[in-house]
Amino acid sequence: MTDAIHIERLQYRVGNAFEIKDLDLHVPAGSIYGFLGPNGSGKTTTIRLVLGLLRPLGGRITVLGSPMPEHHAKVLARVGYVPEQPHLDVTLTVRELIDFQAAFYPRWDRGRAEELVERFELDGARLFGRLSKGQKAKLMILLALAQCGDLLVLDEPTDGLDPVVRRDILSALVTYVSERGATIFISSHLVHELERVCDWVAVMDDGRLITESPMEKLKHGTKRLVVSGAPAEIGTPPFRMLSRESSNGAGESWVVGDWEPAMTSYIENLGGSVHDVIDLDLEDGFVELLRSFRKVRQ
Amino acid sequence: MRVAVNCYSVPVHWNSEPSLFHGIDPRSPIPLYVQIADRVRLAIATGTLGSAAPLPSVRQLAAELRINPATVIQAYRDLEAQGFVEIRHGAGTFVRELAPGRRARERSQQAVALVRKLLAEARRSGVSLAELQRALETELGVKVT
Repeated sequence: MTDAIHIERLQYRVGNAFEIKDLDLHVPAGSIYGFLGPNGSGKTTTIRLVLGLLRPLGGRITVLGSPMPEHHAKVLARVGYVPEQPHLDVTLTVRELIDFQAAFYPRWDRGRAEELVERFELDGARLFGRLSKGQKAKLMILLALAQCGDLLVLDEPTDGLDPVVRRDILSALVTYVSERGATIFISSHLVHELERVCDWVAVMDDGRLITESPMEKLKHGTKRLVVSGAPAEIGTPPFRMLSRESSNGAGESWVVGDWEPAMTSYIENLGGSVHDVIDLDLEDGFVELLRSFRKVRQ
Repeated sequence: MRVAVNCYSVPVHWNSEPSLFHGIDPRSPIPLYVQIADRVRLAIATGTLGSAAPLPSVRQLAAELRINPATVIQAYRDLEAQGFVEIRHGAGTFVRELAPGRRARERSQQAVALVRKLLAEARRSGVSLAELQRALETELGVKVT
C-alpha cells in the first residue's frame, strides 16, 4: 500500500526555541491516522509543513504521491484542511462561504454540502461571526468534506466542542471514509476520541516522534506488570521498558511496550515472577510513553 | 486530464443506535472488531438475529458507533470466516442458516466466557471462590452443588 503522507528526516526550526528533528511519518492511504501529542509538541507545525505552508530546512515530504511544497497546487486541490483556528471571513454568511469555497474546487460536491447543511442544522443566512463555536467547527468540516478530497487534514477538529457536536462531526467523517475510502490525518490531544476511530497512531513530543504504530498494536502491547524478584539489571528484554517503580510492598510496577504473553518467560529466566499483567488503555499508554521519553531526554 | 469523480451521497439514519451494539467500549483491551463480532454471535446464538437477517451496513454501523469502517469490515469478515454470516457484495451481510446444535454450542461457549470474566474479575478484586459461590446462590435463590 502506498502512503498518503510520507515524511523522511524532516527538519524545521523557528529561532532557537523549537525544532522538528529527523521526523519520519508514514500515513498509509485509506487509514484514519491519529496524530497525538501534548500542546506545543509540534503537531500544528508538522501539519503546516505537510501542506506546504512552511518550508522545511531538510528532509522530504511526499503527499498523495507528489513532493511538497514543490507541487502544492496540484496536491492541495485534493486535500481538505481544517485548521485549528477558524480562518473564514466573519462578515460572510454560511451560504456565501459555501459558494466561495466551491469556486476553488472542481470536484466540489453540491449534494454533500446540502446534505451536511441539513444534518448539521446550519442556518445558511447567518453570518460566520455570529455562529457558535460548534457551528463554526461543523461548517469548516462541511467545507473540507464537500470538496471531495482524497486526504483530509484536521488539526484538533473537535477541541473544546461539546459532546453532541463532536459526535456529529465524527459520524460525518466516518461516513465520508466509508463512501470515499479517503485518508484522514487527524491531530488531537483528546486521546479517547482517537481511540475509537483511528487505525494508526503517532505520538509526538517536543518536535520528535516517540512512536508510530497500528492502533491495536500500541493499545494491546502496552501493559502494566506486577513483578517481584527480578534483578536490577535485566539485559536486553524483548519488550520496551517504559518505566519501572517499586510499588508499596507488593514488588514492582513495570510499564512495558511491545508486550506479548510469552515474554513472561524472559522475566522468569532472570529469577523474577510476574504476578499480574494489567491492560492499559490508550490514554494510560500515551502518558507512560511521554513520561519515559522525557526521562530519557533529561 | 481531469477524471470525473462520482462523489454521491445517500442519506444515513443517524440516531438509530441498535441495542445490539450498545455499550461497545473503545477503551476495553478487547479489540473493537472482536467486540462487534461477539455481539453478533451472541445475537445469533440467542435467536435475536434469525437466519437471513441482515446486519447493518458497514457505513451505517461505522457512523453510528463512530468507529473506523475498516473495523466493521474486519468484524464481518471474521464472522464470515466462522460461518455465521454471508457477505453478498453489493447487497449486504446476512446471517447464515446454522447447522442444528450450533446455536446451542455457541450459547454454552458464551456462558463459559461469562464465567471466565466473572472469575477473573473476582480474582482481581480479591473475592474468594467460596464468597463468589455464596453470592451466586443468594442471587439465584438456589443451592449450587
